[in-house]
Amino acid sequence: MAQRQRALTGVTAPARWATRSRWPPGLGLAALTAVVGLGLGSLGALLWQARGVHPAALWQEPWLAAVLRFTLWQATLSTLLAVGLAVPVALALARRPRFPGRALLLRAMELSLVLPTLIGLFGLVAVHGRRGWAAPLWEWLAGSESGYLYGLSGIVLAHVFYNLPLSARLMLQALETAPAAHWRLASQLGLTRMALWRTLEWPRLKPLLPRLAALVFTLCFTSFAIVMTLGGGPRSSTLEVALYQALKFDHDLALAALLALTQLTICLSLWLLALSRGGTPSLVVGSVSLPAGGRWRRRDAAGVSRATDAVWLTALAALLLPPLAAVVLAGLAGLPDLPRQASLWPAAGRSLVMALGAALGALALALALLVGSRWLRARRRGAAALLMEGGGQLILVIPSLVLGTGLFLLLRPTLGSGWQGYGLVVLVNAFMALPFAMQVIRGALPGLSAPEERLADQFGIRGRPRLRWLVWPRLRRPLALALAYAMTLSLGDFSVIALFGSPSAPTLPMLLYQQLGGYRWQGAAATALLLLALVVLVFVLLGLLTRRTPRYPWNRFAREERHARVP
Amino acid sequence: MQRMIATGALALAGLGAGASAAADRTLTVYTYDSFVSEWGPGPGIEEAFEARCGDCDLEFVALPGGVDILQRLRLEGEGTGADLVLGLDMNLMAEARALDLLAPHQADLAPLSLPIAWDDETFLPYDWGHFAFVYDTEQLETPPASFAELLEAPEDVQLILQDPRTSVTGQGLLLWIRKVYGDQAPAVWERLNERVLAVTNGWSQAYFSLFMNGEAPMVLSYATSPAYHMAVEGTERYQAAEFEEGHYLQVETAAMLRTTEQPELARDFLAFILTPDFQRHIPLGNVMNPAIDLGDELPEVFDRLIQPESLTFTPEEVRAHRRDWIREWLNASVR
Repeated sequence: MAQRQRALTGVTAPARWATRSRWPPGLGLAALTAVVGLGLGSLGALLWQARGVHPAALWQEPWLAAVLRFTLWQATLSTLLAVGLAVPVALALARRPRFPGRALLLRAMELSLVLPTLIGLFGLVAVHGRRGWAAPLWEWLAGSESGYLYGLSGIVLAHVFYNLPLSARLMLQALETAPAAHWRLASQLGLTRMALWRTLEWPRLKPLLPRLAALVFTLCFTSFAIVMTLGGGPRSSTLEVALYQALKFDHDLALAALLALTQLTICLSLWLLALSRGGTPSLVVGSVSLPAGGRWRRRDAAGVSRATDAVWLTALAALLLPPLAAVVLAGLAGLPDLPRQASLWPAAGRSLVMALGAALGALALALALLVGSRWLRARRRGAAALLMEGGGQLILVIPSLVLGTGLFLLLRPTLGSGWQGYGLVVLVNAFMALPFAMQVIRGALPGLSAPEERLADQFGIRGRPRLRWLVWPRLRRPLALALAYAMTLSLGDFSVIALFGSPSAPTLPMLLYQQLGGYRWQGAAATALLLLALVVLVFVLLGLLTRRTPRYPWNRFAREERHARVP
Repeated sequence: MQRMIATGALALAGLGAGASAAADRTLTVYTYDSFVSEWGPGPGIEEAFEARCGDCDLEFVALPGGVDILQRLRLEGEGTGADLVLGLDMNLMAEARALDLLAPHQADLAPLSLPIAWDDETFLPYDWGHFAFVYDTEQLETPPASFAELLEAPEDVQLILQDPRTSVTGQGLLLWIRKVYGDQAPAVWERLNERVLAVTNGWSQAYFSLFMNGEAPMVLSYATSPAYHMAVEGTERYQAAEFEEGHYLQVETAAMLRTTEQPELARDFLAFILTPDFQRHIPLGNVMNPAIDLGDELPEVFDRLIQPESLTFTPEEVRAHRRDWIREWLNASVR
């Protein structure tokens, strides 16, 4: 391998270059092997244990085609709306770096993704249901009873509620990585709104869109509880319901594996399409000063856009805040019960530790895969690079039920012995958070522009100093955001932890379900509130830890003053 | 960053350590998670049994539901780590029996007090309840008194159901309607579907996310559900509607594995199930009817619950027809 590398790169680069970059492909390959091994291994275990495989069963079920059609339709519609509407929202947020409540809105955006479905549904029903807060408004406007929460409209509403904030948040991050110098230039040239979009905003968003759309589509495609609950009946269900029945009630491992394969094929082909369209993110990354410190006052922030931005931001708040408020209100009512719940705090601690473990794992895997795929791409191995990046998304499209059962067959853990069960959950959660972590980090990873890299090479800035002074400042904030997303995702996870059984030591989401199973609504609502509070805490803490502290405070003032002078 | 990893690893190690310290005579029981929760019957039962057996250690392993217990047994086969399983209901009995992993309980069935006769040698009942529609008295003053009335009820009497493919209560309704209407079931489903607001994948979604938010006046649940509202929350608002055709019965059972290394201890536990020390935790802990006559110890609210006729299929009938009946329901509901 090493020799081949040298043969490939030796012509264009000095030998030192080749020795320096032996790590990325190795790391990437190791991570890819782990992900693919886990994903396909669990599927393979099912097929291997199955008594007989009859692919014909797939098309003999007439309802299956209908289910598939419906799933594709709702997922497409949800994705178009969630990602499409996220664009103007993200633009408005980027254009308005300071307004009262902006920080609150950003926190709320981070919350919706990790809300356990059951709690999210509670909030949505409390607001949009037949007797929800919005019902009188709807009756006044439409003159009929509000029933839009049930059926396709409800499914799409719920999916937009869950995915628009994530999309907008990631787009905002991409927009904010535009170097300050570009905005300064744009401002000096007096670019119009359209020109700004063409030269600055669109090039930032374009590389992000295909992947983001694929991620959201996958989430909507596999969304199980939302589609069933709001769909109004078995007419609208996802493939996962059939899979659940096959695996649990009928113990038809072969059918389960076939259904999982169907889902895998559809989603992965979409991913490959997205990845091949995505291209490399903008090549013009590279001004040294990051915009995080001081923000540029934008010329286009005045005039008509004041009104349109206000509309978009109000719409976002109206979509996001009421259901969250409903959850918080319900939780507040249960607060007096909290001190009486002996298992709550240990559960919270357990959840946090496991989430941290899973998140660090996800981060390590994401970095390994991204570095590996970047190394490959730099050597014009586009297909291999795609494969490496696409592999990271594999776990997302394998139903957790299949993953859990397959892993169980492969590893045969002892149920209930805390160590093995929790270890497996941390492992699977790390893999499940991987696609999100990759989304967040990916935009920031190319970091150094080609000229900068050459310069660094020429000065011999390599190894630790290069990481410390050139790469780390660029990666610090995206890494924190990725860590926060990965942590909170596994903080809210119930599907995986439920698979491996538990000694009577639950995590927070398990506790929540136990409480619901035991009619403890108020306690459950309070647990949900605590979960939300922890999510906020994680985001705030990680944000604070990685905020760039000014090395020379007086410089910061000088800079802000400079910015203030620009019209 | 490194320090963070180190703390994480340490804390995770601490997490596992608690579980590994176990007594020599450990009895592992697979059950469902609401049974072992802090306020469920599990902790009280564990304490009572450990006090009785001396040096033994009762260890509950929680899975999401009865179906998961069965599935776990299937996957583990003879290598299972369980000594006992607790939580398989009547509808899962035939399939669990077919695994050939269970041993006779040898318990004395005399104290049993069930609505039906029971002489099974493998499965020992520990509680029972009827499926029922729970209604909100603030939305519905007089509930339908029968299925026939429900089908004729005014349009605003809407229902929240659960999917029989993913939920025990959903499967209960499937069997209930099949028992009452026989081959007419598909036609009944078609009429019933006109008043269905939502079909959720689990009971929690239906009861908590929708019904408690006031979305519909009726939800598919258990006849014992009002007992919890009355006894713990002190409200009469939620009641079960009694149908004159009778209600489908759910009996939850325990059984021991033939592979257990502690057969005597396992039988001791099974015998313990039909004593007041076990049963007194059932009514408000599991919100089900106890399997023996608790006399004065039965909470007063249980006298105010409906006492309907019991309908059942045999476990073998359920096993033989479940797939067809689900297909039947699916076709009637998709049309």
